[in-house]
Amino acid sequence: MIERLYADIGYRSLCKNGEFVCGDHIERLERPDGSTVLVLADGLGSGVKACILSTLTSTIISRMIAENLPISYCVHAIAEALPVCSMRKLAYSTFTVITITPTGMTYVIQYDNPSVLLFRDGKEVPLSFVQMTVDGKTIESVSFQMYKGDVLLAYSDGAEHSGIGPNMGYSLGWSRKNVAEFMAPLCCAGYSAKTINSIFLNECARRYDGKPGDDTTALTVYMRTHEQVNLMIGPPANMEDNEKMLSLFFARTGKHIVCGGTTSRITSEFLGKPLMVSLDYLDDDIPPTGSIEGVDLVTEGVITINRVLQYARDYLKNNDSYVTWCNRKDGASLISRMLFEEATSINFFVGRAVNPAHQNPDLPITFSIKMQLIRELSECLKAMGKSVRVNYF
Amino acid sequence: MTLTICIGSSCHLKGSKQVAKTFERLISEHNLKDQINFYATFCMGNCQNGISTSLDGVVYSVTPETAEAFFEKEVLSRIGK
Repeated sequence: MIERLYADIGYRSLCKNGEFVCGDHIERLERPDGSTVLVLADGLGSGVKACILSTLTSTIISRMIAENLPISYCVHAIAEALPVCSMRKLAYSTFTVITITPTGMTYVIQYDNPSVLLFRDGKEVPLSFVQMTVDGKTIESVSFQMYKGDVLLAYSDGAEHSGIGPNMGYSLGWSRKNVAEFMAPLCCAGYSAKTINSIFLNECARRYDGKPGDDTTALTVYMRTHEQVNLMIGPPANMEDNEKMLSLFFARTGKHIVCGGTTSRITSEFLGKPLMVSLDYLDDDIPPTGSIEGVDLVTEGVITINRVLQYARDYLKNNDSYVTWCNRKDGASLISRMLFEEATSINFFVGRAVNPAHQNPDLPITFSIKMQLIRELSECLKAMGKSVRVNYF
Repeated sequence: MTLTICIGSSCHLKGSKQVAKTFERLISEHNLKDQINFYATFCMGNCQNGISTSLDGVVYSVTPETAEAFFEKEVLSRIGK
């Protein structure tokens, strides 16, 4: 049987220094058959004009490819649709289209963008592109199988040119060969796509001395297997449902996280294993974690989850807090790593019991806050491309 | 003797970390590691009166300010120091 793989996808752009709008654009589409279409487009020039060109290009081409239209059609349609620049008398946007099926079969079409790089077991794998001409434009394409652990990297020419400029010290920019040498060892370390992508872009930013001379965009695909993580928080509204909620929770495959004091206590009773709570404060504001044999992680509830939500929001922005949660051992960092990096699908088991002890106006913890936290966290996780299910009890 | 401190959400917000640190310091200062079994627990269901501390099963309320006095009055007296 062919294993169903999960395409972990990360992408981000650096704006050209002084511009407020990025002239590169990434479009992502999920097809009903489970395959993913990704487009990285780089519009002519920079700023708003380039942004319009790249957005139009990537939107049109992703939809046409998703409908299985031939590439010649797509290229022709874009040439017809793009507004012509009054200054340059040109309508132009480069693009890279990546289509990945659920089994890892991958099809790349590129036009004037730097070639994609494929990494396997810490080495670059050469790709044999086939060339064709459409409306006088040379289009390259290649199809290949991606396996578990493979990393595919696509980037705009802003990355290729990183470091070019007076006093920058990289007069030749960042060659494909040097990019491959830099990235190969990082692509077999088990980092998430978003992390690999950030490392790449941070290096581009460093080579530009923090002031990119061109819009710089990178897109990383990391092929991995599906990993399920189950998180339970709060006891059920009705105490008689304890057994039912816990049985359903532990019947799930994958890792199990239990959050909350009362929730840990009923879990400990259900499993017949003692609940041990640590006194080690690894983060001043986050209560220590606990442990129960048979549970992967036991933590306090709302305060810890609130911190996880802050990390999740930041992860979707510029991920500055990654350095905080990537190696710490406090409850919030541990949950963040399991949910953001390991999990591809997440099941929440949310109990709706109202903790009578928390119904005190002096306390900043209320029932509605817990519900709100889970709602927002699941939205963030969906935005990270994970499949999320929330079950209420 | 068993001494527990609640580190549940609401006691945590009220400062159970400071209380835990105070107890740890006093236990070590009085050289009581062999006599006192000190550990943390999640919510004891006594949040309104937190920070919850229990001494051989009897629940008390302390604050970071009263932790030292509580230790001297309740803990040390029982041990006979």
